[in-house]
Amino acid sequence: MARLNDDAQWIVLMGFIVSFSLFFLAILINQSTVVGQTTAEAVSEFPKNDIRGVREVIIASESITDTTEKERVQREIKILSLSRQNAAVDFSAKSSTTHTYIDIHYNNGVAAYNETYTTS
Amino acid sequence: MISHNRHAPECGVSESIGFMLILTLVIVGIGMVTLYGYPLLMKQQVSADEQIMEKNMIVLQNDIKSLAYKTVPYKETSLKIGGGTLGVYNASSTPAISTITLYNADTSEVYVQEFHPGDLRYESENAQEDISLQNGAVLKRPRLNTGSVMIAEPRWFYDSTSNTMVINLISINSTTFMSREGIGTVQMALGESSYQYVPLDGDEVVVEYAPDPNADYSTAWNNYFVNSLNMEKVGTSTYRLPFDSSRKATLAIKKYDVFIKSL
Repeated sequence: MARLNDDAQWIVLMGFIVSFSLFFLAILINQSTVVGQTTAEAVSEFPKNDIRGVREVIIASESITDTTEKERVQREIKILSLSRQNAAVDFSAKSSTTHTYIDIHYNNGVAAYNETYTTS
Repeated sequence: MISHNRHAPECGVSESIGFMLILTLVIVGIGMVTLYGYPLLMKQQVSADEQIMEKNMIVLQNDIKSLAYKTVPYKETSLKIGGGTLGVYNASSTPAISTITLYNADTSEVYVQEFHPGDLRYESENAQEDISLQNGAVLKRPRLNTGSVMIAEPRWFYDSTSNTMVINLISINSTTFMSREGIGTVQMALGESSYQYVPLDGDEVVVEYAPDPNADYSTAWNNYFVNSLNMEKVGTSTYRLPFDSSRKATLAIKKYDVFIKSL
């Protein structure tokens, strides 16, 4: 019997490595559509402009001097953000001797945003 | 180098027996593959079709989200429907594709009377399962068994800070019943939308979900109402909205009409 020639065993080893890596690649590809979809959705659905807009309007509304007018505007902000942006908005202001602190809350079911704004 | 000088005994070695052995192995191999491997492959194909359709339904759900919440007027998606058919059951089809009723339990004022969401449904022939895009949610159920799961949730939410509940009702409409198999394009347009703003003062608001007897998704909706939205089950198919009764609350109900132009 001839002695076993095992010089080419690396070919078999490479075969194993390639097939296992293909297997894992297949699993990754299978998952990628779902992951890509959720990440893309998370990025595209973050309501950056909506938050900026509503925040600006809330801050501006705090400087209205007429109390009834201010109350009416602030109520309208809440109703409008619900109807137009599909978001629940809540805010309240506290005044100290020097500053006014406005607690702003925004939630549209996907993203929630909280901020305490301090007037200078 | 001893082996070179000595021959191995070859008395029992026969070419025909070796050939027979290898041929038998090959035939048995082919037989095993056709017997067990092929059905397994077919099963894989069926589940692949289903998974693809699940993803497709999520894509269509995103289209509907764009139509409803971002007021995009028109959306179009091409998709491949394998191993079954995709059909539109519009909001006026009978028996009704589940209905949602919203009412105030204290004053018995009705906010939404039997809302018909319609259904965009994939009916798998081989897997005996249905995947539905209904009221903004993607749901799945076995056709011959009870029970169902929600693959993607609709965008209903309760905001505890402002004590506000937003309920989005999306109805799917079409001029006729349509269905499609193979590669097709789903064209959707936004129809009418309406908005209801209800200020509440410690009132108890109840949502009632009545399933379609032919396509019962009540388990999935029950889990969504109770686990995701923290509603309290008060009757067989009625749920109390999670308002904080000690404060003033707001209920916002939005209705969107999505029109399927073609499949």
